[in-house]
Amino acid sequence: MFSDRVKSSLKREFQQSLLAKVGLVLVVLILFAAVFAPFLSLYDPDQQRIGTGDTADESELPPWGVTYTTSQTTQVDGEIVREQTAVTGTAKYPLGTNTLGQDIYSRLLYGARVSMLVGILGAIIAALVGVPYGLMFPSLVLAIALVGIFRETSFHTFELPDPFVVAARSELVPNVLIPRADHVASMPATTTFPVTVAVVVALVNWVWFARVARGEAYSIRSEEYVKAARSLGGRDLTILRKHVFPNAVTPIIVLGTIQVAFIILLESALSFLGFSGTDLTWGADIADGRSDQRDRWWIATLPGVAIVLAVVGVNLLGDWLRDALDPSIQGEGGA
Amino acid sequence: MALGRFLLKRVSQGVVVMWGVVTVVFFLRYLTPGDPTTALVPPDAGQEVRDRLREQLGLDQPLYVQYLDYLSDLVTGDFGQSMVTNREVSQLILNRMPATIELAIAATIVAVLIGIPLGVISARRRQEPADFGATLFSLFGISTPNFWLGIMLILLVAVRLDFIPVGGRQMALGTAVGMVLADGSLDGLVTWFGQIILPAIALGTYFTALITRLTRSGMVEEISKAYVKACWAKGLPETLVLYKHVLRNTLIPIVTVLGLQLGTLIGGAVITEEIFAWPGLGRFFISSINSRDWTSVQGTIVVIGVGFVLINIAVDALTAYFDPKSA
Repeated sequence: MFSDRVKSSLKREFQQSLLAKVGLVLVVLILFAAVFAPFLSLYDPDQQRIGTGDTADESELPPWGVTYTTSQTTQVDGEIVREQTAVTGTAKYPLGTNTLGQDIYSRLLYGARVSMLVGILGAIIAALVGVPYGLMFPSLVLAIALVGIFRETSFHTFELPDPFVVAARSELVPNVLIPRADHVASMPATTTFPVTVAVVVALVNWVWFARVARGEAYSIRSEEYVKAARSLGGRDLTILRKHVFPNAVTPIIVLGTIQVAFIILLESALSFLGFSGTDLTWGADIADGRSDQRDRWWIATLPGVAIVLAVVGVNLLGDWLRDALDPSIQGEGGA
Repeated sequence: MALGRFLLKRVSQGVVVMWGVVTVVFFLRYLTPGDPTTALVPPDAGQEVRDRLREQLGLDQPLYVQYLDYLSDLVTGDFGQSMVTNREVSQLILNRMPATIELAIAATIVAVLIGIPLGVISARRRQEPADFGATLFSLFGISTPNFWLGIMLILLVAVRLDFIPVGGRQMALGTAVGMVLADGSLDGLVTWFGQIILPAIALGTYFTALITRLTRSGMVEEISKAYVKACWAKGLPETLVLYKHVLRNTLIPIVTVLGLQLGTLIGGAVITEEIFAWPGLGRFFISSINSRDWTSVQGTIVVIGVGFVLINIAVDALTAYFDPKSA
């Protein structure tokens, strides 16, 4: 896909930049966590340990080795008694448990799946829509298709059973890709599919790709060799495919990487507000911890750290690609 | 091209965009599943009640009639009535606008006050610890979800240190200024500042990081130019060279982004307002979605969309004024 010159430029930039290495390590780690979540996790991420009768109440345990003190006031015989309890985290739950007694470590692993899936898929869909549009392919067809997709997905969001479940049953998708694998005994019938979120996010973000593609197309259009190709009788589509598109690829890849980071942030915000249809995401976990932030700080803090690490990693990769691929800002560090 | 003609062109483009926004919002309603009357009637209500309600809301008319009615209502500033509280949506929105605008402007001020100096220092001290720190700051700034940052700020500053209110808006800026004018009392302003500083930081951090990056890259490019060398050679003081000459020439792209982002800030304030119980448009928007109050959702989107278009036009005009080449 890349020429040798580009490859060597990528390599040189990578060797010189500490931040690019950090970014690669972060992204690889998080993708690893996402793909192998069923093997890396210690418990079923949905298993609750509070008030269920058959399990002990193990909710709101701090991370391993951390102690926190909570004070509760109760009324005993008309007198207000202030009770202080100290709780220390154990290795049983390395990152503690949330308000429902779910293991935070296991939830973070599974949350990585949704974030990375939505981020990457969202950017790809946005690019697939935006790039042809920007390069001025027949756009009417796309507009019609978009309306159709939106209609379908919005129905899925609220009513239809999870297409992922359907896919899993028909064994169309390898098991690794299913967000809630082996651990989960019962799968709710109406959870939302991360793909829905990816499509909805892409519906907004395709514009960025269209802009960049159009800008490239405009700037290349007036180049000598394009004029030459045209004067030799080259058809528009051929010129677009053979000359314009290859030149637009580099900025689109850079934009795509930045968009993955942006979409991960967007997804976490949607999940935080409860609009994404699943509660096994970093954003939803922050929302869960928010009600309880005064003492049990870790419940909202840890998923946020996961988001920041993922987005920092992807952004660093984006910076690396941009510095290596865009000769105009080489060596400047860029914006 | 004369500025007037340029403006005329942009405004007419803006009108087309606004029409597009309004139309998309209208049709979104028909793409969204669920009967709009479902939220309004008790679950056991008969078909007759539903039909009467549909008639009242004009939902029994053909789609194009509904669309034209909706357009003509919008042109006269009529956003309809809230499906939940039955009050005028335009009034509900107007009541919440000042809080959101205050917050967006405060966030912008935070971003400019921190972002630009940080970018300047970073460009001047390239490859030094200050530059490295600024780069790290801006990297984390663009990578941190603002709602989480808001929660962390509440956790650290408000709850642990306990000297700033955790949320809410007790004092409007107008009231605070009125107090100063009336009897010179600064209490109102202090209260206002205390309540807005955390939301402004939470909302403005992404923006701050963006401005830092833009300023830095613009300055780095500009600082190597010949006229800057001439300034150094003349022995002009560093601050003067950096802020008066170099920064001024990198300001145009910054102003452009600033304006564009002000629009997104108003939209993006949605979550920040939710976190800090800030009674603005964003909070209204979320509660309207949750209660399926479609007229309110529609009205809010239209207002945010129109605001976005207006800000864009204003920014373009400013850019054209500063930089005639771009017009």
